[in-house]
Amino acid sequence: MKMLFAQGPAVKLDLAKKLLLLNWPFLALITAIVLIGIAALYSVAGGSFDPWASRQVMRYCVGLALLFAIAFSDIRWWLKGAYPLFILALFLMALVPLIGVESGGARRWLGVGEMSFQPSEMMKIALVLAIARYYQWLPPEKIWRPDALIPPLLMIGVPALLALAQPDLGTAALFAIIGGGMMFLAGVSWFYFAGAIVAVVVALPHAWEMLHDYQKQRVLTFIDPETDPLGAGYHILQSKIAIGSGGFSGKGFMHGTQAQLNFLPEKHTDFIFTMFSEEMGFVGAVILLALYLLALVFITFMALRCRSMFAKLIAGGMGLTLFAYVFINVAMVTGLVPVVGVPLPLVSYGGTSMLTMMIGFGFVLNAHVNRRVTFRQSELGGLW
Amino acid sequence: MRRSKALHYGAKKKPDYVRKQSYRFSRRALLVGGAQAGLFGLLGWRLHQLQIEEASDYRLLSDENRLMIQLAAPSRGSIRDRTGAILAEDKENLRLLVVPAFSKNLPETLDRLSRIVDIPRGARDRVMRAAARQSGYYPVLVAEGLTWRQFALLNVLAPQIPGMQTDRSAYRKYHHARPMAHLVGYVGMAGKEEVDLDPVMRLPGFRAGRAGVEKTFDEQLRGTPGTQKFEVDSRGRVVRELGSTPSTPGKDLVLSIDHHLQAVAQERLKEHRVASVVVLDVETGGILALASTPTFDPNEVVFKVDPRAWGRIARAKDQPLQNRAIRGQYPPGSTFKVVTALAGLHAGVITPRETMSCPGVYRLGRARFRCWRAHGGGIDVHQALKQSCDVYFYETAKRMGIDHLAAVARHLGMGRVYDCGLPGQKEGIIPDVAWKRAHLMEPWYGGETVIAGIGQGFVSSTPLQLAVMASRVATGRAVLPKLVLTPDDPEPDWPALQLDPRHLDIVRKGMFGVVNEPRGTARRSALEIPGVMMAGKTGTSQVVNAHNEHKLSPYERETHALFIAYAPADKPRYAAACVVEHGGGGSSAAAPIVKDVMTEALLRDSAKAPAFAGLSRDEVARQVAVAGDDG
Repeated sequence: MKMLFAQGPAVKLDLAKKLLLLNWPFLALITAIVLIGIAALYSVAGGSFDPWASRQVMRYCVGLALLFAIAFSDIRWWLKGAYPLFILALFLMALVPLIGVESGGARRWLGVGEMSFQPSEMMKIALVLAIARYYQWLPPEKIWRPDALIPPLLMIGVPALLALAQPDLGTAALFAIIGGGMMFLAGVSWFYFAGAIVAVVVALPHAWEMLHDYQKQRVLTFIDPETDPLGAGYHILQSKIAIGSGGFSGKGFMHGTQAQLNFLPEKHTDFIFTMFSEEMGFVGAVILLALYLLALVFITFMALRCRSMFAKLIAGGMGLTLFAYVFINVAMVTGLVPVVGVPLPLVSYGGTSMLTMMIGFGFVLNAHVNRRVTFRQSELGGLW
Repeated sequence: MRRSKALHYGAKKKPDYVRKQSYRFSRRALLVGGAQAGLFGLLGWRLHQLQIEEASDYRLLSDENRLMIQLAAPSRGSIRDRTGAILAEDKENLRLLVVPAFSKNLPETLDRLSRIVDIPRGARDRVMRAAARQSGYYPVLVAEGLTWRQFALLNVLAPQIPGMQTDRSAYRKYHHARPMAHLVGYVGMAGKEEVDLDPVMRLPGFRAGRAGVEKTFDEQLRGTPGTQKFEVDSRGRVVRELGSTPSTPGKDLVLSIDHHLQAVAQERLKEHRVASVVVLDVETGGILALASTPTFDPNEVVFKVDPRAWGRIARAKDQPLQNRAIRGQYPPGSTFKVVTALAGLHAGVITPRETMSCPGVYRLGRARFRCWRAHGGGIDVHQALKQSCDVYFYETAKRMGIDHLAAVARHLGMGRVYDCGLPGQKEGIIPDVAWKRAHLMEPWYGGETVIAGIGQGFVSSTPLQLAVMASRVATGRAVLPKLVLTPDDPEPDWPALQLDPRHLDIVRKGMFGVVNEPRGTARRSALEIPGVMMAGKTGTSQVVNAHNEHKLSPYERETHALFIAYAPADKPRYAAACVVEHGGGGSSAAAPIVKDVMTEALLRDSAKAPAFAGLSRDEVARQVAVAGDDG
């Protein structure tokens, strides 16, 4: 067993070395996406840096500081800290229904003085770390065993249930996608995934009964938005009109009529892609999507180059998070999936999602910097 | 099965599960990456479908069906004086705007509009710049103050001129404008910082308080904007109104000012270049008049803003925008002797009986300090105040030291600003040892104490501070000035000063002597109302010193004239302070002004009349109707 983990020397890196090893093009790519977002926020505010664009710049700077701090930190800390962090996030999520702040019919925030804090955001990071930690520990030859599935399924299931209780369907779905995707990457057998799909199909009608009315309404209006154009279908319909009327080359920067005439709801947060593609057209929208795809390609290749399963899965898991966000958001505003309230990462206005993504990218870069690092069994201990 | 297999081969070569898992990760990561790319392809296809295949349909929908939300600016609260007279109010303003995005060709639109409304070159450039700078959907103001005829004509022509809009908003009208200008202040377009804080400020015609009460109470006066939702067609014409939330008008304010008294005060100051006078109600602290000359007309500043007119006022000789009553800082001169006398009695360094003799000069070491006159022997505190003997107060100040004098001066309300709603107050200076060390990084010298005793040297204060000091001496209570009347406010009960009432009485008798006894310095300014006496103190403060002597013009070398007073002397109700910049002697320039203003205050006795308590709704409507007829 010792032999299995003794693949290489435990590489210790100093800061200068780490700076060299950092994936700078990837950082430039992220910054490009953020800049597009800032331009979009400038336009949404009617050609003003206030109130949104300037604050977004500030948040990006804070996020960047966090990203560097995490990227240059010792990966072993995170290996040790993964489970405690997960437990902490779980504890905070459990606190939300008890002492959380209510906003818009949902209890998702913990208030700390003036600040509000969303434990489910922290959980998105903690979940990736915890599952990566688990598969780093699990001896690869045991991965096929059914009992090896129980810990990761609990890790996904408990936070997902807590999110559903908030109620926050989007986040619960996100946990399932990230967790399931990571299990797949780690090498869990195809058969289990096939089984899961069958189980979901069987359980779907029962789950429908458990949904809140407004969630049911969202799904129903998604299926046929035109039935209620001024009510629940309004968002999707107006969003489609805005995107569609942008045409090939768009209406021009700051000239989107739908958005500028206050026609769009949440135009600076969840529906910013709508506004962007109205003003920038098909060309702009495809370029933005291509930038995201390029970022995903970067992340995938960074994951492939890592030696330890922990680092591989961190990069892979964060990639899945980014993908899930972008896909759900764009699919939502183009009317492919129901409106679930997922922001467009790095572009939508909002401190929490920006910070979550920047921290996530910090971990991807940390994995990349520490790509040669492997862990000895002694560093892992037991399951804990 | 698997396990036995592994065992079987493991004897020779253990299968490398780690490597296998790593390969499996690579395969699956590429698979997941491929799936992600595929799903992004799906999004691309969807965008293609919406933006290229069905683009024309959606474009039609977008043009046909536009919603426009307009913010409706709230009407600003009015400001009234204590008698209920309106000082500032909103009046209807007919305006012409353009929405650049709806106008096919902005210069041409402006050309067509200029046939009806005069659009000067400057306004035209401003419109073009604004249109280029901000989103085309924000309306830009072209002209305001239209006549009804122009307004009606424009509305008739509206369908032929795309992008044109008219609206009825409000402008600010100031009554009793010149006397009230400094107090009430004025409104102006929101500055850059304010627009950044609140985009509502970008609405054309949204005005924010820029000075005076308009600035301090801007938030109360401003109100909250409402919204109007319209459905508009692609050219910006309103198809129908979808609903609106009304704006909430701002709150009205009532000031403690009496506009009659204020007008008299302003008129009385007119003969001087720069002067100011303050009248306080000593019981409530209410400011009854606070006038400063030169003044200006805020109506020229707020309506149809002409940058040149503004510049003319802002740069005019003697700076009319400055409110001298709260921003002018003058050496208080002999008016400060009231403070020195009280402080000396309080410290016990002088007694009411003690007499000094005044040879016309005071020696401290090698330095000589002159008195304005040789008063001779037998000068006690009463005579010293009445005849304004410098030598007596040089000695008093020297005996007690500067820190004690400064403490009493502050206790009498000097050297600070008051939270009464007047922005931009200056603090003045009540110096002490610590102050000099902190500000000039020098030790305190004995000679500086001596001249501080007669209100010269570092000491400086504003007319408002002098009026507060006079009120406190008159009442023996820690009066603070108040400008805004609130109907359900209890009568203020100011705490008693920490000074011996007997000492206060001695000083009051001295001030009584100044005006009413033979050889008093302000004897010529005694009131002419039978049975009503005034108590006061003159001051003539020196401007010239060794450093600036050659730089000053003859006008600038002239001394400042000051006078503080309260009346009636036996039962104080009003206190006043007046400063005439470079006006000469306090008894000749400042005291006569106070005499006249005080006479007016006593005859009107507005402090005793019940203050205006707000109008009922009907009365407001009636007044508005009357005001409309006048226009």
